[in-house]
Amino acid sequence: MQQIVNGLTLGSAYALIALGYTMVYGVLRLINFAHGEIYMIGAFIGLIVGQSCELPFSLILAIAMAGSSVCGVVLEGIAYRPLRDAPRLAALISAIGMSIFLENLALVIMGPQTRAFLIPFEVKQFRVGTLCVNSFDLLILVTCVVLMIGLYLLVHRTKIGKAMRAVAQDKDTARLMGIDVNHVIRVTFAVGSALAGAAGVLVGMNFNAVDPTMGTMPGLKGFVAAVLGGIGNIPGAVAGGVVLGVAEVMGVALLRSEWRDAIAFAILAIVLLVKPSGILGENLQEKV
Amino acid sequence: MVFTVYRSKRAFHISNLKFATVIPLIFAIILSGCSNSGAPNTSAQVDGGKDPEKLIKIGMVGPLTGDYATYGQSVRNGVELAIEEINGSGGVDGFKLELVAEDSKGDSAEAANAVQKLIDQDKVTAIVGAVLSGETATVAPIAQDAGVVMITPSSTAPGLTDVGEYIFRNVITDDVQAKQMAEYVVMELGLHDLAVLYANNDYGVALKDNFTREAKELGATVSAVESYLDGDQDFRAQLTKIGNTVEALYVGGYYTEAAKIAQQAERQGMKVQILGGDGLYSNLLLELGGDAVEGAIFTAGFYSGDPGDEVQSFVENYTQRYGDEPDMFAANAYDSMKIVAQALDESGNDRASLREKMSGIKDYPGVTGKTSFSDNGEACKEVFILKVENGEFHRAK
Amino acid sequence: MLSAYYYQLFVIACINVIMAVSLNLVTGCAGQLSLGHAAFMGIGAYTAAIVTLSWDVPFVLALISGSVSAAFFGLLLGLPTLRLRGDYLAIATLGFGEIIRVAILNLEITGGAFGLRGIPKETNLPIAFTSAVAVCLASKRLTKSRFGRALIAIREDEVAARAVGINSTFYKVSAFVISASCAGIAGGLFAHWFRYLNPSSFAFAESIEVLSMVVLGGIGSPEGSVMGALVLTFVPEFLRGLSSFVSQYRMLFYGALLVIMMLIRPQGLVSADASSKGLHLADIGKKGRDEDDDA
Repeated sequence: MQQIVNGLTLGSAYALIALGYTMVYGVLRLINFAHGEIYMIGAFIGLIVGQSCELPFSLILAIAMAGSSVCGVVLEGIAYRPLRDAPRLAALISAIGMSIFLENLALVIMGPQTRAFLIPFEVKQFRVGTLCVNSFDLLILVTCVVLMIGLYLLVHRTKIGKAMRAVAQDKDTARLMGIDVNHVIRVTFAVGSALAGAAGVLVGMNFNAVDPTMGTMPGLKGFVAAVLGGIGNIPGAVAGGVVLGVAEVMGVALLRSEWRDAIAFAILAIVLLVKPSGILGENLQEKV
Repeated sequence: MVFTVYRSKRAFHISNLKFATVIPLIFAIILSGCSNSGAPNTSAQVDGGKDPEKLIKIGMVGPLTGDYATYGQSVRNGVELAIEEINGSGGVDGFKLELVAEDSKGDSAEAANAVQKLIDQDKVTAIVGAVLSGETATVAPIAQDAGVVMITPSSTAPGLTDVGEYIFRNVITDDVQAKQMAEYVVMELGLHDLAVLYANNDYGVALKDNFTREAKELGATVSAVESYLDGDQDFRAQLTKIGNTVEALYVGGYYTEAAKIAQQAERQGMKVQILGGDGLYSNLLLELGGDAVEGAIFTAGFYSGDPGDEVQSFVENYTQRYGDEPDMFAANAYDSMKIVAQALDESGNDRASLREKMSGIKDYPGVTGKTSFSDNGEACKEVFILKVENGEFHRAK
Repeated sequence: MLSAYYYQLFVIACINVIMAVSLNLVTGCAGQLSLGHAAFMGIGAYTAAIVTLSWDVPFVLALISGSVSAAFFGLLLGLPTLRLRGDYLAIATLGFGEIIRVAILNLEITGGAFGLRGIPKETNLPIAFTSAVAVCLASKRLTKSRFGRALIAIREDEVAARAVGINSTFYKVSAFVISASCAGIAGGLFAHWFRYLNPSSFAFAESIEVLSMVVLGGIGSPEGSVMGALVLTFVPEFLRGLSSFVSQYRMLFYGALLVIMMLIRPQGLVSADASSKGLHLADIGKKGRDEDDDA
């Protein structure tokens, strides 16, 4: 059905965002509330770059991803690293504060108006039976898959990936083994933010709209997707994103469209009640 | 024993700390408040201060910052331009007008504070505002209780003027424009299979309710009614649900979402006539929507392309002064201010008689067309129907 | 005696004090970040308003009904989420706030997008002030009692607290419910002062404002929360006169405030005294906090 296609494209965007959350949580046990704003910043970088020079799509995407990476690392250095040893409450508050700060900074600098983000090439429509798909939808799916494969390779086939997994498992032991934990954390943020930035560009182009508040909802939903799939679990984030996207779309199709946003949070509620570790996660209950 | 004494001493100390800080703070504020009869404010300076006592203060409240800043600023500009023109031609009955503009930041509680300040501290004679319906609903009772004339140039929620006889409205209301659009679609365009996609805020709901009711009464079918929230970007689910067979889609919301809706509808292969209310009237609709909004039709209370002298000189002056073409917020605010000035001319600087004169206004010729007030302060205005042709706005009717 | 403008400001200040002090109980004392406090205020406000509009009951009853319904939702939300780690509560409360906002927007009984109008003006400064003082005193007594000490123990190290027999879930949920009920009272006062309710008054931004008040004043310190509430109620109003330039940056300022306070002075403006009312990050900070989670 058409709605499934809608759900898949929506879901892949959520998945990209969820990946960033999950990676950071795995390594730092911190919910990076400002992740949604990185997504928004990525979209703006893409927009500004795309408007000022005539560049092919892949370059715009690459630059936006690089820019978001840098932002993510800087964010970590300012707001999270100093609080690394502080109680979690402090880091959480700092995270929320950064999120609000970044969003409003964008509002002040760029203004509240939505801006058009034109796709730099012809979009073709395809009809497959009763389905209506266009080439940009396909591009989104393909890009997401490529990025996810890339991430998988990074985490499982490279040295730094191994280091990331080690830090996620046990930070202090990793440090004892000679891993530069700070560096690993920075790389994690860089990669996670790059993915969010990519999502920002893709979504911004898809809907031809970029504005400073565009990060809040996707950020929240990305987090729900991460929890749904099992926070800290990378394939889980992808699964969670897709499931959430499809569920949201089906919810609108079958139920009333007013409750669209509530669906994501209802899912969160159910997950927390029934299986807090998510679909693919392990049981993370604190034991005494 | 010692322990008990220690504890009670500590308790005393802590309570003392609290009182020590809170009470003096309160006193300090009260003192400063009572002696401060006029807080500094953002007011347009009166030129040529011949007679500083002969001043009438006009208040304005709306979101000058925040998400809805564009609307508040437009309103402010409209009022300011009107005041400058009035002062330029001698003022009102020998008095000069002074604008006191306050920022509500789009928040109702802030608006309440702002209006309270305008009434108490600045002692304004009339208020143009508020801009958002939620704000106006909150501040209208305050103005009514204080007996200060308030005229909103943009709040379209039903029933606002019922708060009291001091509350007026100068904007086409949602019920009127939705009904007019329904009539136009069914009777003149002859389309009968309709769908509605509305924003779930007071504006959108009012449009949806009235359009649907009127269309059904005229014999059309409204096969789907879906909603979204302001700021939503993805409407594909709703559009798919609406389906490809409808002939026209009435968008009850603002141009940002309408542009996206039009684009996504096109991408899904829907061939629909896009319709809407005055929320669509903005150059951004064209910018964000591109080809997809070509042919869209909507109702509006103001048309900047109107060839009339009044309108053109207003557009010219506004563009020169503020660098952008005026939108309907500015136009309605401009007319509102001029209406107030006309009433002031007859009534003098007295809140109660101003109110009387205001309600007597009939057929005021403004840039938004002829305006009269009904018994409960509602405006009877003309409604324009505009269409997007070749990337520009034209009158469809 | 007092101009209407200042009268209103004081009423708002009292309402904010109630909100800040009650949030402090959960976030400050128990160390659980709650990002949906405004939602409880909204529940209280709408319930009280609906009760008044439908049945014309004495004001106190309306306030109580608002408080009870907020407490009920607090229980509903708290029980499942407080079993888990603290981070989950943050997101859960955020989500809860959103669901409540959407619900208020869509339900007929709350007036939907049009809101509720015509609520009689029952709140006045004496009532608001008395409520605020009552909440402050109650909060103080609570934090100094065994209950409060248990909360602080949970905040400092939940695993250790449980090890000594503190039923952390019970205390956390209780704190959460109490705090929600206070927010409900604040909501009822709000509704009967402004006479008009609208779903956007109880959104995320408002929750953040209250959090900022608590953080500014000092996490865990009720006096601090009072201070924070007063400062963040009056100062923006005074600055309004100075320039609109400043007010544009209000939310920006709140965001920066939260981050900077955590980095520089986590104990807030009102320094906690030796009975550890405040969050002694300087002292405790040395301990790493994450390894005890991977059991």
